[in-house]
Amino acid sequence: MHSGCTQHWGDNMAEYNSGLATLHQPIPTRKRSFKVAVLDNLGSFSFTVPYLVAFILFAAIPVIFGLYVSLHDWNPVTGAGQFTGLSNYLQLFNSSTLAGHDFLIGLRNVVLFTVISVPFLVGIPTVVSYLIYCGPWKGLFRAIFFFPSVLSVTAITTVWSWILATQGGLLSSLFGIQLPWLTQQPFAWISIDATTEWWSMGFNIVILYAGLTQIPTSLFEASRIDGASPLRIYFSIVIPQLRNIISVVTVLGTIASFNLFAQSYLMTSGGPGSSTEPLTMFIYNQAFNEMKMGSATAMAFLMGIIIMIISFIQYRVARDRG
Amino acid sequence: MSIKKLPVVIVLVIGSIIMIFPILSLLGASFKTHTLVFTGGIIPQHPTLKNYATIFSSNIPLLRWILNSISVSIIASLIVVVIDSLAAYSLAKLKFAGRNVIFYVIVSSLMIPPIATLIPMYLEFSSANLLNTYWVLVLPYSANAFGIFLLYQFYLGIPDELVDAAKVDGSSKFRTWISIFVPLSTASLATLGLLTFMNVYNDFFWPLVSTNSNGMRTVTVGVALTAIGQYTTNYAELMALTFCSIIPMLLAFIFAQRKLTQGISTTGFNL
Repeated sequence: MHSGCTQHWGDNMAEYNSGLATLHQPIPTRKRSFKVAVLDNLGSFSFTVPYLVAFILFAAIPVIFGLYVSLHDWNPVTGAGQFTGLSNYLQLFNSSTLAGHDFLIGLRNVVLFTVISVPFLVGIPTVVSYLIYCGPWKGLFRAIFFFPSVLSVTAITTVWSWILATQGGLLSSLFGIQLPWLTQQPFAWISIDATTEWWSMGFNIVILYAGLTQIPTSLFEASRIDGASPLRIYFSIVIPQLRNIISVVTVLGTIASFNLFAQSYLMTSGGPGSSTEPLTMFIYNQAFNEMKMGSATAMAFLMGIIIMIISFIQYRVARDRG
Repeated sequence: MSIKKLPVVIVLVIGSIIMIFPILSLLGASFKTHTLVFTGGIIPQHPTLKNYATIFSSNIPLLRWILNSISVSIIASLIVVVIDSLAAYSLAKLKFAGRNVIFYVIVSSLMIPPIATLIPMYLEFSSANLLNTYWVLVLPYSANAFGIFLLYQFYLGIPDELVDAAKVDGSSKFRTWISIFVPLSTASLATLGLLTFMNVYNDFFWPLVSTNSNGMRTVTVGVALTAIGQYTTNYAELMALTFCSIIPMLLAFIFAQRKLTQGISTTGFNL
């Protein structure tokens, strides 16, 4: 900061001098000494330094170092082991290895979760945000639907585990619905999905609602005068107008669903069997229980690449459709 | 309110009940005795503070956890707001060599999934002997590229004339930032701060792996591990514990709900 302050005087002087120069010369030359220009650049650059230090330490180095780790046998206690080349990655494509088997199951589970959750995470909020837009007390309803999003995953899984508990849970004691919500399939997935929808739907409602307020009201008025039904307005105005935001919400929802961890970890511990164990949980176990950091990092990187490819395809599809 | 809107209102009210009911029943259950926790609806017939008393007299360092979470979240948010604002100001309004390259590198880092950097970051902190400290709980959140993006967009909209006028008046670049850009962007800064606070307070994965002693846990991790461990059978106490853990976020929601929703709306538009 200090350098930004002090060197600016030099900058000002330069401006002042070049100003004087233009007074005396008919053609402005805008000649600044090289030294002043460098100092000016450095002064402007210095504002980014605090952020860049954080960026290098906690974004750039982890990526580069992670790549290095993923090419080794790596124990968290003893550190770097043997260089293994790409074998940490290659084993993931071979389901007869333990890590490859885990990766495949984790990937399958998380894809299943994503495929079920994203349509609801996008579909319900599109309808609800439109209802809020049409109805009275917009601010109040938006706040209520948004409310669960501010709670921690711990709080929401605790509440829902209690509501869903087979013996003495709220659902079974209030409504007499006794089902093995957390211990048998398909109920375990339904529970995790429903809890996630309840938790993060409001986030999407807020985004989509903001999108609705950007649609020119004349569009709605014109179609109302033409006698279009609310349903018709929804499908021929709301959905097409919100297309960009819907695609953003879809991509964000897919990324978030792919990163599923705590709901499974806290509600079902990945069970029954490992049927609700997402990829992140296999990575966590590989790193912190099996102590295989190299192989775990390779899994995380491959998962990251898969997420990027899927997001990229989703963006392209959304863009090309428009 | 016209009669035509009645079906809309009915649907929204039913939805609202679904959204609020679980938390109200949590609150109700936290005032019930253990044996009555599943009976008599959500309003306790014989409300008792016993669960809260038990928790605060037990060996669960709940207050410590909450204070850990609050202080870590506040410090991280302050760091993010200050360094993101400085960098966004420079990237949007000051000219220097390599400016665009830096901006694109930062923005493309938005695509890196957190899971990919988690383990190397753990090893990084482990080799610096900083695991299980406040450093490890605060510092990783400081590389917040979203904030740069958010503020960059906002600062681009501030007219260059203002910057030039300040320059003519002899104000330094730093002075221009603090006396023009910061005041003009207080709303965005507050939004960024709040979103960061919420993310850090509610984060689960990172504090789970980067801390290992009971005293260094954040409240989300501490309560979760307690819930898995010793309280699975005593729901009433678990509900009281959970309710205490969400009080800071409830307050943030009550007082800053508008700012939070604003921030989230801009997320949708920016990406």
